Amino acid sequence: MIKKSRQVRDYKLLDKTLPTLRYVNPEEVFIHLQNNRCKTYDIFVKEGDHVLLGEVIGMRHGGFFEQPVHATVSGTVGKISKKFHRTGRKVDTVHIKNDFLDTMHESVVDRSIEEIEKLTQDEIVEIVKEKGLVGLGGSGFPTYIKLATKEKIDTVVINAVECEPYLSSDYRMILEHPGEILEGLKYIMQALNAKKGLIAIKSKKTPLYQILSQLLNTRYKDLNVEVAKLGNHYPQGWEVEVFKWALGIEIPHGQLPMKYGVIGFNVTTAYGIHSAIRHNLPVYERHFTVNGDAVKFPQNIRVRVGTSVKKLIEISDGYDTLQKEVIVVMGGPMMGTSTVSDDVIVSKTTTSVLIFKNVEYKEEPCVRCGSCVYSCPAHLEPVQIMNAVKRNDKDVMKGLEAFKCIECGLCTYVCTSKIHVTDYIRKAKRLIG
Amino acid sequence: MENTLPKIIRKTSPYLKRPKASVTRMMRDVTIALLPVTAFAIYKFGMSAVVIIVLSILSMAVTEYIYYQIVDKLDGDKFKFKNKNFTLYNFSVITSGLIYSLTLPDNTPAFVVVIGAAFGIFFGKLIFGGLGQNVFNPAALGRVFIVVSFGTMMTYDVDTVAGATALGVLNNDVFNIAVLENFKLMNLFTGIGIPGSIGEMSAILLILGGVYLAFRTSFEVRIPLVYVGTVALLAGAVAIYKDLGIWYPVFHVLSGGLLFGAIYMATDPITSPITKGGRIYFAFALGVLTFFIRLFGAYPEGVVFSILIMNMFVTSFDYYKWTNQQITKRQKLIFTIVVLVTIGITIVGVSYVG
Repeated sequence: MIKKSRQVRDYKLLDKTLPTLRYVNPEEVFIHLQNNRCKTYDIFVKEGDHVLLGEVIGMRHGGFFEQPVHATVSGTVGKISKKFHRTGRKVDTVHIKNDFLDTMHESVVDRSIEEIEKLTQDEIVEIVKEKGLVGLGGSGFPTYIKLATKEKIDTVVINAVECEPYLSSDYRMILEHPGEILEGLKYIMQALNAKKGLIAIKSKKTPLYQILSQLLNTRYKDLNVEVAKLGNHYPQGWEVEVFKWALGIEIPHGQLPMKYGVIGFNVTTAYGIHSAIRHNLPVYERHFTVNGDAVKFPQNIRVRVGTSVKKLIEISDGYDTLQKEVIVVMGGPMMGTSTVSDDVIVSKTTTSVLIFKNVEYKEEPCVRCGSCVYSCPAHLEPVQIMNAVKRNDKDVMKGLEAFKCIECGLCTYVCTSKIHVTDYIRKAKRLIG
Repeated sequence: MENTLPKIIRKTSPYLKRPKASVTRMMRDVTIALLPVTAFAIYKFGMSAVVIIVLSILSMAVTEYIYYQIVDKLDGDKFKFKNKNFTLYNFSVITSGLIYSLTLPDNTPAFVVVIGAAFGIFFGKLIFGGLGQNVFNPAALGRVFIVVSFGTMMTYDVDTVAGATALGVLNNDVFNIAVLENFKLMNLFTGIGIPGSIGEMSAILLILGGVYLAFRTSFEVRIPLVYVGTVALLAGAVAIYKDLGIWYPVFHVLSGGLLFGAIYMATDPITSPITKGGRIYFAFALGVLTFFIRLFGAYPEGVVFSILIMNMFVTSFDYYKWTNQQITKRQKLIFTIVVLVTIGITIVGVSYVG
């Protein structure tokens, strides 16, 4: 098939319609002390200590920022052990045994609305920094750095597109907590002194549009926020595509959107900002999708950060036992990471686990149909980069701008010959550094 | 809990593939699109058409099969009756054979058919490394090979009145509009009552196949549109310059192998550029070459020659410094200038000829 094809089947019907299951009290949690951005850490507690929910138990050190680590249950601290992170690496985690009391730490106190209204940008940045908030869509970039921008921001865009197939945790979260998200957006706008807010959703997600616009017409009348219905294609959720479709602003590769007067936040981050500012709470729970064609009962679960994915698969009735081999994917089916074990810990930035049957596709020779070239959202020519990788021609890889690739996986998805083009592009990116 | 937990294996993203997309589907679609044309050829020429078609496909398939068995033998693999490289399984060789056979005149001797087919598939496809690697369109290469080598043996079943095919007449006397009286446009359109290669006559059936392919997105619809459009544009310019009337471009579009070549041969994705822009420029160059060969060249048939010539330049369309996934403003400007210059050259050339 030779055509531009950005329609990816989304397979969301199964879990989208089910209400989110609440699984908030695991027996034990493991809190990541390292993650993909932070390699070193300090820990302030020792084995046997009793910690409270929301208590700072350590500090992660990233390249240019520090990030406090919070306890997400109250209970007894255990050993430090190596567990899988969603990126597929083994990292240090600290074990906390839950006492099921959920005693809040004394720092967790609600702010009154009057108090919040008086907060300045610096104060909001300080709160967000203390609560260790990061980009919860999966980027993990510290939110306080974005909020502290000195550029003049006109529009704050909340990215609720969720274009990856199978995932519906954002969808359920907006449906169940629309007010909190709008509050979060309001605080972001207050911090950045932005006049306009925008919530970007896919145009086919009508229920979200209805619920958000209803709230905007009644309870949040003063808020200058509109809900933008964007396209249904993949990767609409890529920030550049969101800005292009919602505002008509094209951001060139390597430039920050702040320069153009826009800033984007994931919808879960907006929710996190709400709980940080209103309740002074760190992110200790999140919506989580368990889906895929090899799990028995696909659903959304509200989980404590630090829960083991294995437990979540168990409460979703486990694997499809007819399968001999399965693939466990953390994140979406197009960009997620496949792990070698299901003993992964849910971190703040983990959105989902997907379990797929192992389907072997027969790879045929490339017939140069050009579907990947037509479809590439970053305007690259994947097949040419692939050929350059095969003959190890770095000049061509650079000339074809392989570094612009966002690894959305669309070239592999559309390939007529079922070639894993994305892998070749990744290789090209590594080769040209 | 079950004892037999599935084994977790590691792969890289993405984990989904587009359903239904496959090489087999694409190649099979071309074969299906050619079925009405094939049926018409058999209806019109009877057994001789059947013999040509069957021989072409068989000799291409057999050549390929023998080649791969020999290659596997040389690589030291065990003999297997089902060879994994053999492209009969994905219709590719059938498509090539069918396209090749439909470009032949009905009186082509059997041994010429076989030689052309074997030559085309061997030198056009196999020595380059098989499916996806070829520089030349195998069907076009085989066809040109036998035109050049056995030209005198391939006669058309000609009309006694006209004495030649429509383009053959036109080649001798380029601007003789009177030729149209022997070739009614309606006949050119339906393919009834005119001589020509077995599959190239019925414009309406060729277009029907093209529409099917366009709906199935199994070919790049821009190539035939631009190709035919370019020929029509240049013929139109000549018609205005020479005052030949509006039927002149229509005649050029409908006669000869233009529609066949544009829809089934030029669109072969393997031997055409990879970008949207590249494909448009490629098709434009094809149209210009075809028209020039028809007007100024020695052979009446410009289509297969121009396809082969342009196949050689595909790599330069795809050269990494020149390609762009999008059609930029600069490209549009240059393309417009090139189109205008081409029209100018055509008219200057025509003023020398006529």
